[in-house]
Amino acid sequence: MAEAKQLFKEFKIQSVSEFFRRNAAMLGYTGKIRSLTTVIHEAVTNSLDACEEAGIAPYIRVEIEELGREHYKVIVEDNGPGIPEKYITHVFGKMLAGTKAHRNIQSRGQQGIGISGAVMFAQITSGKATRVITSTGGEEIIEAWVKIDVDKNEGKIVKKEKHPNPKGWRGTRIELEVKNVRYVRSKQGVYWYLKLTAIANPHAHIELIEPDGKLIVFPRSSDEVPEPPVEMKPHPRGVLTDDVYRMAKKTRRNTVKRFLVGEFSRISDKKVDELIEYIAALRLIKTEKDKSVQDQLYERLAKGEVKAVLRSFRGYTKVVKQVAKMMEKPPEKLTWHEAEEIVEAFKYMKFLAPPTHGLRPIGEENIEKGLKGILKPEFVTAVTRPPKVYSGGIPFQVEVGLAYGGEIPAGFELLRYANRVPLLFDAGSCVTTLAARSVDWKRYKVDDLERAPVVLMINVISVHVPYTGTGKQSIANVDEIQNEIRLAIMDAARKLQTYLSGKHRKLYQVKRRKTFEKYVPEIARALSVLTGEPEDAIKNYFISYIESHFAAKEEAKAEEVSENA
Amino acid sequence: MPKRKAIHREKPRERFSYDPTKVLNKLEEYGKRILEDIKAGKNPYFDIPMRGLNNVYFDEKRRVIRMGDKLSRRYFLNVAHTRKFMQTVLLMAYVKRLVSENKHASLREAYYANKHTIPGTKENTFEDQRESDPIIEDLERMMGVLREEMHLTADRRGYIYGDIVIRDGEDEFNTSKLGMGGWAVPGTVEHLQFPEINVDYALVVETAAMADRLIEEKFPKKENALIIATQGQASRGVRRLIHRLHYEEGLPIIVFTDGDPYGWYIYSTIKQGSINLAYLSEKLATPEAKFVGMTMDDIERYGLKNVTEKLKGIPPNKKGGPTGDYKRIIEEMNYPWFQTKEWQRQLKMALKMGVRIEQQALANKSLEFVAKKYLPEKINNGELLP
Repeated sequence: MAEAKQLFKEFKIQSVSEFFRRNAAMLGYTGKIRSLTTVIHEAVTNSLDACEEAGIAPYIRVEIEELGREHYKVIVEDNGPGIPEKYITHVFGKMLAGTKAHRNIQSRGQQGIGISGAVMFAQITSGKATRVITSTGGEEIIEAWVKIDVDKNEGKIVKKEKHPNPKGWRGTRIELEVKNVRYVRSKQGVYWYLKLTAIANPHAHIELIEPDGKLIVFPRSSDEVPEPPVEMKPHPRGVLTDDVYRMAKKTRRNTVKRFLVGEFSRISDKKVDELIEYIAALRLIKTEKDKSVQDQLYERLAKGEVKAVLRSFRGYTKVVKQVAKMMEKPPEKLTWHEAEEIVEAFKYMKFLAPPTHGLRPIGEENIEKGLKGILKPEFVTAVTRPPKVYSGGIPFQVEVGLAYGGEIPAGFELLRYANRVPLLFDAGSCVTTLAARSVDWKRYKVDDLERAPVVLMINVISVHVPYTGTGKQSIANVDEIQNEIRLAIMDAARKLQTYLSGKHRKLYQVKRRKTFEKYVPEIARALSVLTGEPEDAIKNYFISYIESHFAAKEEAKAEEVSENA
Repeated sequence: MPKRKAIHREKPRERFSYDPTKVLNKLEEYGKRILEDIKAGKNPYFDIPMRGLNNVYFDEKRRVIRMGDKLSRRYFLNVAHTRKFMQTVLLMAYVKRLVSENKHASLREAYYANKHTIPGTKENTFEDQRESDPIIEDLERMMGVLREEMHLTADRRGYIYGDIVIRDGEDEFNTSKLGMGGWAVPGTVEHLQFPEINVDYALVVETAAMADRLIEEKFPKKENALIIATQGQASRGVRRLIHRLHYEEGLPIIVFTDGDPYGWYIYSTIKQGSINLAYLSEKLATPEAKFVGMTMDDIERYGLKNVTEKLKGIPPNKKGGPTGDYKRIIEEMNYPWFQTKEWQRQLKMALKMGVRIEQQALANKSLEFVAKKYLPEKINNGELLP
């Protein structure tokens, strides 16, 4: 019996780490370079979120120490609010217990396991606990070594020390030891990830110390700390049966009707009455034997002729009453089948578009600041499109930033983001790539995109970003999203075009002016010989003549532009 | 008693005049106008008579090629003009210095003297002599003064031999006493004076070889002629000298070239002036000049058929023609100044016979044939083409 118990325990231990390994791809821990980036991503995201929620301008320092072959120590330190002692295990230990995982909220975290995944990764590759040093700015600094108890699937502090905090330090520093990873300065690596993060988070100061000791600073370029996103009630068109079922189990509302009205957006009492009719109609249609008649009825229902459809069945009022009754029962008693019926009916009904107040774009001004601060271009512009909806009920919003020239090297660069998080992999299949390529750049004075010093950043914001595949590094080609991206790019490109044509004109004028000015000394000397007037005086006549000529020209140009505007 | 010649010296029609202050005044005048424009906030410019075939015409009355009145305006504030504007004033200043210091410079010297890198650029004021030469021509046309009057000289080419005395600065000499080589004509003949002229006419000879032959045969002494060797197309110095000898000293001018389109064009240039220098025709051309040979008739008359050469190019009646010499002859036939019965006949004959005849072909008879027979016979009998 003891043997069996031991076996079972081992099985359990194995299963948690097995779970992690099996889902490594989904969690972002595949490949030596990517795994390291994911570890950093989780830690930095945690810091950014914490600072955002606390309204602190983030100061994040990332340090990577090489301890051996494919063996590194990763240190991430922030000036965030710090973690109260009792929450340390909660933050770092619980797998699949992220606070945002099941909320209808725009979030940086995509994988759902967050920093605990990084702790787990460190644990299974190096066997070491994660060292956490944190303070909320009070009397003491807590130093804790955290591990994940694979038995209980929760965090466990293996060692803890308390230190005085005379200087009132506040923030969190975590140290993870990881193996089987590699630091490379590639476009999938940590450097690139942080650079992109800095662009999308201009309110953050981010530093990186590379394994060779090199310090890289991405300075803060905006003082405005973005407001944390707020939770939005899900829109009926954007939910799955599972969502409804799960939400019904958790809700504190008394009836299914109150649950629907209270927990979803765009559902009113009247809409529930309508819903009852639709569910009843669907139930009745399913009883119809004749396939062609059935199809016809579905079609009519889709057209909104719900009452007519109901009336075509004998004794339909009975069915309607049954459904109405269902609406009055406690939501926790809602069955899977009933949830399914509700979601199916939602698809046939019309709703107002979902609210978009929960979306938090970076904003045009901040995108410009971010691009300017990090890339030092000569021209930058940004476009934040108004929110839109895809597949009927999921709000999303698209932003693009366009930077040109300056310190940007030649060659087109696309920076992809989903909810401000850089996407570094699978660029080829991403809707952003498709949209960027579908734009005819020549129309915007970018003649050779591949050799132009252009950086295009695209940020897709949504409560549910439709990723392709498990890696969550590429956004699915949804028509509505692609269209919005295209429009945003073209909008930004138009501004670039205006700038470029102005630049060409200016350059041309400067060149023209120089053609005349360079000859002035020669002419002045010769005319002085011819007329006996002093050379300098003659020079001045010519220079002021050229100046007044070009000033008049500029004015004429400005007038022309304002007329056109 | 020498027999009465058809050719003899006439009375002078022009007085020699050369006034350096005229050039200086003009230069200053132009400079002042530019300054006034710029001070008044106007775009300064030069009005320069256009060059090229479009702006020349044949003055029937005076029988010279003349420049039309088409002007091209060269602005300072014009991207396409400004460099030339700068070059123009640069050379004007240079000319002013030359003339006021009484120095002469060759075209090449003028180019080098004004060529330098413009400060702050990699650009030179003049990149090539081909840039400065046309500007100097522009100045001549614009101000109506000769390059020679601006103390700019061309390479010397051509020489003279004959019993005339020339005063060149402090030197005075008889050009028949300088050896068989004669006296080389300088680029500028403006300052020359002719204290003594003991010849009846001037014979302008295209090739040096023929001129040397005539000198060796003592033709100048026997025929009382001045030999002027042009050595190809007559240089400006030579043309100006011919003009002066004719108008200031009354010497008749007789031209002796090869019997081919090139030779006839040399004659035409001496007589009517050239398209390039149309603005100078009145100072360079000598419309009264006459042509002694070679003519197409000479071939028959002196039995030279076996020493002719075929014309180059494709005749007009053949496919692809006319080209080469044929094309040139047809062009000459269309020149207004060749619209005389005699010349049309000559040119038509040339086309028909398809041959050319060189001066030296006369040596086929004997070396002295040209000096003893051909020239004296034709000149003294007045068998000359207009």
